[in-house]
Amino acid sequence: MERRLVIKQILIMAGGLALLPSCLRDAGKSSVLLKNLDVSLDQEKLLAEIAETIIPKTNTPGAKELNIHLFVLKMLDDCYEPEEQQLFLKGLEALKDKTQRRYSKSFIDIAVPERQELLVGIENDKEASAELAAFYKIMKGKTIQGYLNSQYVMTNLTKWELVPGRYNGYYPVKTA
Amino acid sequence: MSNLNIDAEKSHTFDAIVIGSGISGGWAAKEFTEKGLKTLVLERGRDVQHITDYPTTNKYTYEFEHYGEPALAIRKENPIASRCYVFREDAMHFVVKDQEHPYVQEKPFDWIRGYQVGGKSLLWARQVQRWSDFDFEGPARDDFAVDWPIRYKDIAPWYSYVEKFAGISGNKDGLSQLPDGEFLPGYPLNAVEDYFKKVLTNKYSNRHVISARCAHISKPNQIHLDQGRGQCQNRTLCQRGCPFGGYFSSNASTLPWAAKTGNLTLRPFSVVESVIYDDKKGKVTGVRVVDTNTREVTEYYAKVIFVNAAALNTNLILLNSKSQRFPQGLGNDNGQLGKFVAFHNYSARISAEYDGLLDYTTDGRNPAGGGYLPRFRNVFKQETNFKRGYAAGFSARRMNNKDMSGVGEGLKANLLKTTLGPWSVGSHMMGETIPKESNFVNLDPGKKDAWGVPLLNISVDYDENDVLMKKDYLEQLTEMFTEAGFTNIKQNDASQAPGLDIHEMGGARMGHDPKTSILNQWNQLHACKNVFVTDGACMTSTSTQNPSLTYMALTARAVDYAVKAMKKGDLA
Repeated sequence: MERRLVIKQILIMAGGLALLPSCLRDAGKSSVLLKNLDVSLDQEKLLAEIAETIIPKTNTPGAKELNIHLFVLKMLDDCYEPEEQQLFLKGLEALKDKTQRRYSKSFIDIAVPERQELLVGIENDKEASAELAAFYKIMKGKTIQGYLNSQYVMTNLTKWELVPGRYNGYYPVKTA
Repeated sequence: MSNLNIDAEKSHTFDAIVIGSGISGGWAAKEFTEKGLKTLVLERGRDVQHITDYPTTNKYTYEFEHYGEPALAIRKENPIASRCYVFREDAMHFVVKDQEHPYVQEKPFDWIRGYQVGGKSLLWARQVQRWSDFDFEGPARDDFAVDWPIRYKDIAPWYSYVEKFAGISGNKDGLSQLPDGEFLPGYPLNAVEDYFKKVLTNKYSNRHVISARCAHISKPNQIHLDQGRGQCQNRTLCQRGCPFGGYFSSNASTLPWAAKTGNLTLRPFSVVESVIYDDKKGKVTGVRVVDTNTREVTEYYAKVIFVNAAALNTNLILLNSKSQRFPQGLGNDNGQLGKFVAFHNYSARISAEYDGLLDYTTDGRNPAGGGYLPRFRNVFKQETNFKRGYAAGFSARRMNNKDMSGVGEGLKANLLKTTLGPWSVGSHMMGETIPKESNFVNLDPGKKDAWGVPLLNISVDYDENDVLMKKDYLEQLTEMFTEAGFTNIKQNDASQAPGLDIHEMGGARMGHDPKTSILNQWNQLHACKNVFVTDGACMTSTSTQNPSLTYMALTARAVDYAVKAMKKGDLA
């Protein structure tokens, strides 16, 4: 595949996010152009792994391949209050600490079952700190939104119709 | 030099001038040009060509920068526009931004505007119902406002006339309070909407659920094909502009039709500063226009002027049109111009669930939106502690449940596996409000906009009648929902400011008596015969129906009258 085509496809997959090759930008900065947030490349990579843990690659692409983590960052950057953004970033750091304390390794270095255990643990922890809870809520919610509304899912899996051309108010429910 | 002036005046002279290109202005343009009059349509905003200028119309969610959600910075810059449901990434380019067009809110009022060719006809909810004599006789019977100078029989043929051209889907329901019209096939109620209809018919003598009547071409007639419009494709993305012309807008219908006659001149970027009254000639001779790009002030002249700038802006233009003869604004001998503004009370909703009829769901999308409950309160006689009543929307859809717990492959599979939940049902109120002198608009004494036009000050609020009516709506809908076996009923008192209903009306009301009204039975200024107002400003009362269809019919009727009167020399 031609490189240009690949870049084009990445652009489309990321829903029109402005992507710049990292060599053109500050080393260590996120690859997505952000207006408000200061996110490092390491943080971005971590978010990609978290998104991939939430929606992994199976016989269809997972969140990382679809660049859903960049959608999460884009939404966080443009659509959230500064306080929520800070909570999210603090929550991300809290997650790093939690991982380190529990597994003595970073999130990237632990196995998938451990990653899942960690995230589900936060999901079910009614006493999770405000920042960890806020981070998880936004991360998971936006990952699901980004995934379900991605071009891949809308055209290949859920097949959303732009032009239905019909309405049936008494459509029988298929009973399997 | 003098010849040059004469030439310039000639090129600026038309038979008719229409101020505004929205739903009523578009109709005035069509009627005048079809009758052979050289017509100038002035639009303050930019041009929006049908199809060509609908940049988002075929976009998928993922093609919008934030998948449709307006960015926080945009929401913060536009607190008023952001409260409107169409202000999303797919249609926000058709909604006026708060900062660009300020106004003064003596009381909170969310003024939602569409400054472009086509105006709000691109964005409207497309619900269309005729008025009946229960509406036109309302003020006289219930002792408020002034008596309407027309009755149903006066407007019925004009309803038919505009319905045939615009394309209205609906069923002949045979209800005296909501007269039937010239309908294309109605969009059917779904299983639960139909069920609710049956529950109400069995339990109550005068409560009905009908298929919402909407300005969609469910099945085109030749007249729609001739306009270049086709069948509605059930996209329900209407606010983006429809590439099929499936719903009625000035852009898809009346304006291109008017253009085809060769008699239309459309001038966008043209703010009308005032209507020019010639004290010597004793009539209006034209309008004064500020070009929004060049700031140049130009005058245009015509024998007849239609003011269709949208209800409150029409008031603004007339109030700002001062002369020796009319020091308080054009046609404002009685000082009532700008007063008796009213609107529709949309401030309550109710939702619930239904666990029956689970063998059915819906397939495709319903552009009509579902069902409509015509007004049932105080229709045939006064029966409550408040005046008038409310109509209500009613719609049902199956909920899609997804198990979103956990992470990983299980979650991924569950996200694509939708199980049908119970039906979700909902209703919103559309209450008639009573026009009062204390609900008014006027010109701010000091502040002006970028074109030197005074800012409009809006002072409109709910009253005790609205509060009582809202309470009744919530009680009655709760009772009806309970009767139908709906559960988890949730009342939602939205407490929204007036304006967000986008049904502001009045200020230049029609009436018999020049002492108490601004317009006569032909939408003609009592005091200045060659000026007509046929947009929302003309409304004597609001009733509960969505108003656009009535504006269309009043416009076609008024143009017919104006042209006949011109021929007889009566407008001079």
